[in-house]
Amino acid sequence: MNEASPIRRRTTVRMSTSDKRLNDSALQSQYQPYKDAAWGFVNHWYPALFSEELPEDKVEGIQICGIPIVLRRVDGKVFALKDQCLHRGVRLSAKPTCFNKSSITCWYHGFTFDLADGLLSTIVANPDDPLVGTAGITSYPVEEAGGMIFVFVREDDYPLEDVPPLSQDLPIRFPENSERFPHPLWPAAPSLLDEGAVALGLHRTGQSNWRIACENGFDNAHILVHMENTIVHALNWVLPLGILPDHEEPITLTEDEDGPKGLIQWLFTDRWKPVMENPQLGLKIDALNGRFYRTSVVLPGCLMVENWPEEHIVQYEWYVPITDDLYEYWEVMVRVCKTDEEKKAFKHRFDRVFMPLCLRGFNDCDLYAREAMEEFYADGTGWDNEQLAATDVSAITWRKVASRWNRGIAKPGKGVTGATKTSSIRLRRLAEGKAPGYFVEKIEDVNSY
Amino acid sequence: MLTATESDQTAVDLGASHVTFTFSDGAEHTLSIPTGSSILAAGLEAGLPLLHQCRSGTCSSCLATLVEGEAGTLPGSNSSLFASEMAAGKRLLCVTQARGDCRFTLGYDSTGGQQVSAAQTFVNAVERVAADVIRLELELAEGSWIDFRPGQFIQIKVPGTDQTRSYSIASTPAQLPKIELLVRLLPGGVMSEWLLNRAAPDAVVEIAGPHGAFFLREGEKVPHIMIAGGTGLAPMMAMIDQIRARPGRKPPILLSFGCTSEEGLFHRDALELRQHWLPGLSVQLSVDRGPASDPVRVGNPVEAVGQGGAIDPASVAYLCGPPGMVEAARSHLEALGLAPDNIHSERFVAS
Repeated sequence: MNEASPIRRRTTVRMSTSDKRLNDSALQSQYQPYKDAAWGFVNHWYPALFSEELPEDKVEGIQICGIPIVLRRVDGKVFALKDQCLHRGVRLSAKPTCFNKSSITCWYHGFTFDLADGLLSTIVANPDDPLVGTAGITSYPVEEAGGMIFVFVREDDYPLEDVPPLSQDLPIRFPENSERFPHPLWPAAPSLLDEGAVALGLHRTGQSNWRIACENGFDNAHILVHMENTIVHALNWVLPLGILPDHEEPITLTEDEDGPKGLIQWLFTDRWKPVMENPQLGLKIDALNGRFYRTSVVLPGCLMVENWPEEHIVQYEWYVPITDDLYEYWEVMVRVCKTDEEKKAFKHRFDRVFMPLCLRGFNDCDLYAREAMEEFYADGTGWDNEQLAATDVSAITWRKVASRWNRGIAKPGKGVTGATKTSSIRLRRLAEGKAPGYFVEKIEDVNSY
Repeated sequence: MLTATESDQTAVDLGASHVTFTFSDGAEHTLSIPTGSSILAAGLEAGLPLLHQCRSGTCSSCLATLVEGEAGTLPGSNSSLFASEMAAGKRLLCVTQARGDCRFTLGYDSTGGQQVSAAQTFVNAVERVAADVIRLELELAEGSWIDFRPGQFIQIKVPGTDQTRSYSIASTPAQLPKIELLVRLLPGGVMSEWLLNRAAPDAVVEIAGPHGAFFLREGEKVPHIMIAGGTGLAPMMAMIDQIRARPGRKPPILLSFGCTSEEGLFHRDALELRQHWLPGLSVQLSVDRGPASDPVRVGNPVEAVGQGGAIDPASVAYLCGPPGMVEAARSHLEALGLAPDNIHSERFVAS
């Protein structure tokens, strides 16, 4: 240290929500890890693509928790590697180049990686380089279930032997949990892992932090935004104005050692009271025509709505972090179809009714609602300035349980899409009318720029 | 280049050379390394804390200075050093082989390939957490930096004096540029006098570090036992927070923490939070003198370990406190079946 130079305070302030907490309570500290998870919880299973989006030999590039991931299907099996070349960081998926069935090659300088373990297996123009066989890129475990591809998004040094089964990051199952969490008003909800499970749905990019999106999914006070949705009127549902906790345990945690970690809400039991009237505003619900449903959520942010939108169907949702201000919104309906006829009938009803009126229509409202909260939270101050109320017991419980059981807090993306919000490429793409999204921008025509 | 390659090839017949490594703290290690082998590879194999990254002659992490003897670039390898740097004795150990006995100096100490450096800091907060304990939060000044491993300590130059004092860091490297310390107040101590009477936010403090071979061993999945007396809790806080943040399955941790009296027990809220965040952490609190209310027990933190059930003899242990406590803890744990090599300790003396 040069004695003559003045000693100065650091001018670069690190993003930290804890520094200027205006509402400093023990409760907030309990979920500090959640507040730090702007880029998501890492070392978890996330949906990456629908199986049909990745036919044989196709290569796709996506980003989850600030980690770029390339997927390739070979002989039916899906492989996932870090989509960032070891050499100079080029995204392999931008111009997929594969010379055989066991590798993927960077289209720029020819670094070639083994699909199974990510090791550098050769370099096109330098097969004897000492890096070959010793260096590599991170590989990610992959599972397919019910027509969805799941990737275990891990930190580079998360040990493969510690990767838990997919079922630990999916909702609890029925009927094995029917006694513990009775559901007298509807049949046992199917699971994506059930034999014959068929998942139909869509995924699209939302412009908010993933936590804002996730908390919306099981927020019992947000029925209001859905009052005028077509599906509600088409099926003559009459929803209450809201529901309030009315029991010492309105929510139960699911924390079994080898099970998913999260919470389940005792909806449509005496533990939650429907609000039927607000005399001051002249609002009154006369006769409920309930759609009975129950919401639960497990790490890393997978919502389950049982008995929704009709019997024998369950709606799953994921809010997969792409960056700290983008998430991939997955809306999936699952039904067990034992025969091709059943499958066809489900697909028909899904295409005609559920897709336009539920996953679009009804859930479009949720996208607007999340966006409306985003700016308040985007700079980190919203987490300190929010004034939560009694119904927010759901969000608080989730924040605490997620703080306790997450397998890692994703570090802010480095050297990846969206890490620099004002990069010239990002701005040019915006000018070209392309919003930041989930998929890599592919080079389609090699002879034109 | 051609001549160097030729002489390297003739050197292959010479067999092994004695290569001596001198670290910045004076520690020396001599290895017999077969000619034609990478000095870095041989050093790492022998467990020397040599800094390195690319292992292919590019990144310069393994830079060392040749001070005696001859050493050249391995055949078929390239070093990114300039000819002028080579002439000044600089070598990248990953692509260097010895040509006869030689000696290298390294710009970092032997406690884990770390550079000990001096740094300027600002005081962010001075907070009394118990009658005789102060939590001191420092922040590295612009342009200053140190690295450390959870468990290590730094030296502080007490402002306005020529005295230095050593304190374990209670925060993790991820929290840098902030550094948190737990300081025990001693009547008449120079540090205590400064903390009580003069320390205030924005005061400038010079520190140096990191120091010590007491740090969290990475990658251990066996149960961890931590025994802390008084401000010996500081390195344990750093290690617990590090374990919480690291990827992979977390080991179960038993922390046995003792103070003299219940009023003196500090950081109970902080420990409760850690228990909320880390389901595998159990905490046993002890006080030397009663009365104590449940769950705090009267007794010392050493004997508390093993009372609640059998201890896995494969456990690793970390001990920090006064010398008497550390000695007692070591014998107690060895009696419970822990291997001496798996017991790491740091003792502090009051000053």
